[in-house]
Amino acid sequence: MIKLVQKDLKLFFSNRRNVLLTFALPIILITLFVFVFGGVGKSKNQSKKYDLTVSDLDNTASSKYAIAQLDSQKSIHVIPEQLIAAQEAVKKGKIDAVLILHKGFADSLNNGNSLPIELQYDEAQEAQVGMLQQALFSTFIALPYSKKDNMVKILNKRFDKILGKTDEKTRNRVHAQFETLNNTIENGREKKSDAKASDFSSGSEIKMTKLVAAKEDNSLSLVQSVAGTAIMMLLFSVAGMGATLLDEKQEGTLKKLLYSPMRPDNILFGKMIYVNIISVIQLLIMFVYAWMVFGLDIMHHLPSLLLMIIATAYACSSFGVFIASVAKSRQQVQGLSTLIVLLMSSIGGSMMPVFLMPAFLQKISVFTVNYWGIQGFYDIFWRLLPLIDFAFLSRVLALILIGTLFNFIALKMFRKNILKIA
Amino acid sequence: MISVSNLRKTFDSTEALKGISFNIQRGECYGLLGPNGAGKTTTISIMSTLLEPTEGEVSIASYDLKKNPLECKKNIGVVPQEIALYDELSAYDNLLFWGSLYHVPKAKLTARIDETLNLFGLTERKNDKVKTYSGGMKRRINIASALLHRPKVLFMDEPTVGIDPQSRNLIFEVVEKLHKEGMTIVYTTHYMEEAERLCDRIGIIDNGEIIAQGTLDELRKSSSMKETVVISFSNLSDERYTKISNEWKESERFDDTIHFYAMNIQADLSKIILKCSDTGLDIIHIDIRKINLETIFLSLTGKQLRDK
Repeated sequence: MIKLVQKDLKLFFSNRRNVLLTFALPIILITLFVFVFGGVGKSKNQSKKYDLTVSDLDNTASSKYAIAQLDSQKSIHVIPEQLIAAQEAVKKGKIDAVLILHKGFADSLNNGNSLPIELQYDEAQEAQVGMLQQALFSTFIALPYSKKDNMVKILNKRFDKILGKTDEKTRNRVHAQFETLNNTIENGREKKSDAKASDFSSGSEIKMTKLVAAKEDNSLSLVQSVAGTAIMMLLFSVAGMGATLLDEKQEGTLKKLLYSPMRPDNILFGKMIYVNIISVIQLLIMFVYAWMVFGLDIMHHLPSLLLMIIATAYACSSFGVFIASVAKSRQQVQGLSTLIVLLMSSIGGSMMPVFLMPAFLQKISVFTVNYWGIQGFYDIFWRLLPLIDFAFLSRVLALILIGTLFNFIALKMFRKNILKIA
Repeated sequence: MISVSNLRKTFDSTEALKGISFNIQRGECYGLLGPNGAGKTTTISIMSTLLEPTEGEVSIASYDLKKNPLECKKNIGVVPQEIALYDELSAYDNLLFWGSLYHVPKAKLTARIDETLNLFGLTERKNDKVKTYSGGMKRRINIASALLHRPKVLFMDEPTVGIDPQSRNLIFEVVEKLHKEGMTIVYTTHYMEEAERLCDRIGIIDNGEIIAQGTLDELRKSSSMKETVVISFSNLSDERYTKISNEWKESERFDDTIHFYAMNIQADLSKIILKCSDTGLDIIHIDIRKINLETIFLSLTGKQLRDK
C-alpha cells in the first residue's frame, strides 16, 4: 500500500500542471477573496425569527414581563437560560449572544431609571447581533411605558425632578395633564397596536459586551476567506485526485495491480492515503500563505490548526474518493464534482458566511464538509477555543464521521463498480 | 505446472468458456491460438485470478486457484494485452514500482531492473518518461515489468499487437531465452507465425472451446490435411491434363495450373515434376503450399484466424 501511495505522489509531483492547479490556484483565489470579503459582517439581511437566549438575574414580575414583551415580537423567539451556561455557549460559538437582565431591573423600570440590561455576544456574529440590537432597543425603550399607569408615574417623577419645589396646586394640575395624556396614548395604542416605542420617548440603553473578541490580526474576513476558499478548492482538487482511480481503470494499470499479490481493497486505501497527504499539504500551504502574506496568526494555534487541517483533509479527501467510486468515467467525476462542490460551498459557507443565509439553508449547511471545516477554523482563529474544548472537538468529530461515511460508501462502490473490470 | 479442468465462464447469458481443459508441463511454452472473442483473454484472466470461473478447477504451481489465490499470484507474471504503464514515470520508476508490489528486496530488485532493461535494450532510455517511448518500447517495458519477481509461470496475452518488426523480434528473442531458462509460458496470439516459432504445444480455441491441441506435427496429422504443389504450365491442354490426372489421382486443374495434393511433399515433388516432363508439359512456375496453423485452423473451424 505504501508503494501505491509513493507511486501516486511521484505521479502527482511529476505533473507540473497538477501541482499548479492544486496549490497556486487556491492561493490566487484566497488572495482575491480576502479583498472581496472585506465587507463581511455588514449585511442587514434578516428574515428568520431570531432565537435569543435570555438570562433573567432579576427574576421579578417586571423582568418576566419584559421577557414576555420580547418574545411577543415578530422577529424574536426567547430561550431562557442560566447565565454561565449561556456565556459558555457564546464562547463556543453555539449561540451568537445572551441578553442579561441584571438584578434591579424591576426597580429601575418602576423608577424610570436606565435599565440594567446587557448583551454579551460573539464578535464573529456582529451582523446578527447588530440587527438584534435594533430589535432589543425598540422593545426596551418602550418597556417603561408599556405597563398601565407606569407612564404617568414616570412622567410625574421626572417632572417633579425638573421643576424642583413647586406648590401643590401646580403639581396636581400637571399630574392631571399627564393623566389625560396617558389616557389619550392608551386610546391611541388600542387603535394602533403596533405603535413604535420610539414614538414615546427615549433614554434606555443596552450595554454591549463582546464575550468573544478576535485579535486584530485575525479579522473575520481573513479567516472566512482563507478557510472558505481553502476548503472549496480542496474539494475541487480531491475530486480530480480521486478520478485517478478511474484513469487507472481506463489505462489498464488497475487490472495489472489486481494481478499482483495485494488485497484489492488496498488499492483504494492507498488512493485514500495519497489524497489525504496532498490535501493536508494543500491546506497547510494555504494557511502558511495566509500567515506570511496576511498575518493570520497560525503560530499560536498550531496543534488545533494541525488537528483541524487533518480532519478537514480527511473529510474532503474521502469525498473525492467517494465521487470517483460512484462515477463511471472521469467526465462523470468532473460533472458531478463541480455540481456538488459548488452546492456544498455555497450552502456550507465557503462563498458567504452561513449566518447571512436564510434559516432553512443554515439548517442544511450542517450536512456539508465546508460548514464543519469553516466553523472549526473559526473556533481556532476567532473564538480562540483551546484544543481540548468540546465544541472544537465536536467539529473535528463531525468531519471524521462525514469522512468515514464517505469512505465506507466508497469502499462498497469500489468493490461493486471498479473491481468488476473484465 | 498448470492444470485446467472443465473451465466454464458465463457473462450474463453469454457462455465465454464452455468447459475447456488442458495441462501445461513445467518449462513448456503453450500457445493459445484463436480469433478475437474466442475466449483466450477470459482464460488468461481466470488463470491470473482476475476473474472467478463459473465452474471448473485451475491449479498453478500445485496451488489451487480458488483456495490459494495469493500463492498463485506470487508464482505468476502477467503481460496484459494493453500497455499498462504510468506514462508520467520513467521506465526505471515504472519497473521499480511494479517490482516492489511482489516484495522483491530493494537491492535485488534494482539489480534485476538493470538486467531486464539491458535484456530489452532500453538501458540508455531508462530515465526517460514512458510517454516519450515508441509503441514497441512501451511493449517491451510492459513485458519487463512482469518478469522482475522471477515468476514460475508467465502469461502473455497477445504481447506483440501493434508493434514494429524490430521490437517484435526482440520480444521473440526474450521469450525464447526465458523458455530456454525453464520458465513456463502461456502465450495467446492470433498470429500463426508467433505460435509456430515460440510454442511447444498449441491449443486452438474457438467459441469458448479448445477444438484441437498438440504440437504442430500432431495438429497437422490430426487435421488429415495434405500439402499442395501448385504448378503453372505454358502448354496445358485437356488431353495432357487427362494423362496426368490418370497417374496422379489427387489433382485439380485451374486454367493453366494444376494443384497436386500429397502427404509428404518433399518425397513426392520430384515424382510430380518427372511426370509433367514425360507428358510434354512446360513448367513456368512452381508453388509449394505446406500445412501451417493458418490452414489447420481454416480446416478445423472453416474460418480465417484473422479478419482480412
